[in-house]
Amino acid sequence: MRWTLIFALMFASVSAHAEDLLPDERREIKRDALYGEALFHLHSGRYDLALAKNYALRKRNQSRYGRVLDLHEATAELGLGMSRKAEQTFNALMSKQKYSFVREETSAQAWFYMAKHFYQKGLWKSALRAMRKVSSAHIASNLKDEYHFYLATLELFAGNPKRADEHVLAIHPESEWATYAFLNVAVSYTERDIHISKVEAAFNKALSLVGNTRQPEHLADRINLMAGKFFYGTGRGRSAIRHLRNVNLESPYTPSALLTYGWALTEQWQYHDALQPWYMLKTAHSPLNQDVQETFIAIPHLLEKLNAKVLALGAFEFATEQYDLIHQQLENSAQRLNLGQFIEPILQQQTPGKWGSFEPVNLTLPQHPDRIYLKDVMNQGYFQGQLQTLRDLHVIGKQLRDALKEIDTFKQTVVTRKADLNDIKTSNALSEGREKLKQYQQRYRHLLRKIDRAFGAPDGSGLASEEEKQQLALFKDVKSKISKLGKSASPSYQKRLRRVEGVLKWSLAERYAERKKQVSSNLAVLENAIRTAKRQIALSHQAYKDAPNAYVGFDRKLKDLEQQHKDQLTKLNRVYEKQLAKVGGIVKKDIQKRQARVTNYALQARLAAARLYDETSNQHRVVEQGAMK
Amino acid sequence: MKAIQSLYLASFMAVAMLTSCLSFAANNASLDQEIEALKADVIELNQSLYELEEKLLFPATTSFAVFVSMEAVKNFEISGVKLNLDEEPVTAHIYSREQIDALRRGGIQKLYTANLKPGLHKLTAVIDGKDEDGRPVQKTVVADFGKARSTKYLEIKISQNKKKQRPEFAIVEWK
Repeated sequence: MRWTLIFALMFASVSAHAEDLLPDERREIKRDALYGEALFHLHSGRYDLALAKNYALRKRNQSRYGRVLDLHEATAELGLGMSRKAEQTFNALMSKQKYSFVREETSAQAWFYMAKHFYQKGLWKSALRAMRKVSSAHIASNLKDEYHFYLATLELFAGNPKRADEHVLAIHPESEWATYAFLNVAVSYTERDIHISKVEAAFNKALSLVGNTRQPEHLADRINLMAGKFFYGTGRGRSAIRHLRNVNLESPYTPSALLTYGWALTEQWQYHDALQPWYMLKTAHSPLNQDVQETFIAIPHLLEKLNAKVLALGAFEFATEQYDLIHQQLENSAQRLNLGQFIEPILQQQTPGKWGSFEPVNLTLPQHPDRIYLKDVMNQGYFQGQLQTLRDLHVIGKQLRDALKEIDTFKQTVVTRKADLNDIKTSNALSEGREKLKQYQQRYRHLLRKIDRAFGAPDGSGLASEEEKQQLALFKDVKSKISKLGKSASPSYQKRLRRVEGVLKWSLAERYAERKKQVSSNLAVLENAIRTAKRQIALSHQAYKDAPNAYVGFDRKLKDLEQQHKDQLTKLNRVYEKQLAKVGGIVKKDIQKRQARVTNYALQARLAAARLYDETSNQHRVVEQGAMK
Repeated sequence: MKAIQSLYLASFMAVAMLTSCLSFAANNASLDQEIEALKADVIELNQSLYELEEKLLFPATTSFAVFVSMEAVKNFEISGVKLNLDEEPVTAHIYSREQIDALRRGGIQKLYTANLKPGLHKLTAVIDGKDEDGRPVQKTVVADFGKARSTKYLEIKISQNKKKQRPEFAIVEWK
């Protein structure tokens, strides 16, 4: 019953994330990349990265963040399913009265969520201690009802019903938490020596409040099933029937409800009515379901009560066949478990890099031959927890193997860089570049000199041909002769001379401009080549300077890391095998238990069939003997 | 005599069962501890490898990184960011609900890491999001910056302009 209570509470609780433990307020981080990243990963649910950054922050050895790092570390550890370590850290924090870095309200919230986490992990004592640390005066109003609900439940676990009652009464009656609280009160009454009317009142109160919850139908089915089972178990068939009749026919609780409903009707001598839910259960659900298995033997039992002995005989034979089949199926599952075909396919379909207690195990099982059975086993919380741990180890193992591949790549990078440096040294790129630059600069200077000579006069006379030079000289001569003539010279001579001279000079100036354009573009090409050569030299120089540092020291570090990874992988493989054996052990034990139950049912069915056969035959014999007499 | 013998036998069996139960519980506890220690070791090892990777692939002389931070901005919710470096697209990121919350609570995201040669460069960040009415908003911020032979960190900062009561977007340099 204790476990039923736990399941009831698990159902009631809403999942919280590890980061909720932290104060719900923005913290200024003043451009500390490492701390900022740690915070980012922590709040975005990447607890592995957050914890890694936290370790790095601690290594940096700065007491700037103080106890916040403890809180971050414990939070990430909770997120990664490292509950023991997290609990130790939190217990150390609990010994302090106050955090210096948070306000009363945030402190209350942190303690509240911390308690919630412990609660969800099943660490009841720590949860109660943490919840008692919450200051009720400072808890946020939207969390108040939830706070009283958890405290009530935890006090019930600790065996303090009076304190629990106080908290139940503190919950607002229209809050969804009131429903869960009354359900838990009802369940706790069933464990204690409380009068039946009080139990019924508590169940009815919970039922009347289901409308305030998020999944009212689902919860109502669950409450009705729990109440029905309790009343049937205590011999109150009518009350049981009343509750079980209200369970929806398409809910996950239907098989169990139908089975108990049938038994409750049988106890009330309503045999005909009892057959109906059992037939429904038999036809609509898998034979691997344990409630269906019980129905196989319950139906002929009921038929016998109805005096339909031939039908009962047939039903017993059918049940025996079914039990043999189920036994065989379970045997096959056990064999697959031994051959590594049972759990391994589930692990293969997990997402790489995703692990931790808030990362659900992918249980889609599309082609798994044991999916029906597995789904049934997976409803057990303990199995889920162990499977999650196994999944974590599987994912971590893959990470380690990937890391080893990465180290190989890094080694290759180091080798390539070493080769690059050798190339730089042997190719004399620097001296070759400098030589090339020297040649370019020489050519440049030579060209400049040449240009100076050619373009000496901007009138273009430097570019004149021999004939043109003679013409220019002739013009000069004519000009001097005209000036000697003085005033007697006609002005028309000078005008004609200027015209002829102008035509030649114009042509020379045109040539000068054209040539200058050509030379300028040639110069630009050369200047560009010089610039490229200079840059090349600078880059080669930098490469030459940087290359030795780019691989020096990494060889040893990589070798150390590789060895550490290999050691961890060996350790992990050992632990993985142990955990696999543990999970396998749970399944094996469960299969054996199921097989024992099926064998027992089969034996009962065979015995009953034999007895029935015997009875019907004897009856015939007695009738025949009587007739003969 | 037989009664005494059977009493001894029963008590011996009870002690044996108790011992086996205790050792089973102890084995379970030690395996759990072993698993937790292993997880912690692997995480530390991963961090060492990450640090080595950073040093090897992004040497301090060429290392360049872009971070994203966001204050508790009331009327803007980031949904994605695209980065262009020297007119070339280099990375893009779409935010999950948890990541947005992480940014709001003070987290800083390392969006992009690369090697960058010394000289003048241009970073363009296109930030997509929604305003308080759910309408799509796109903001582009540009920064021209110089890179010397040392690490360069830039931050895409989304903050709240308290006077104008609206979000502000900027690229700031870490010194």
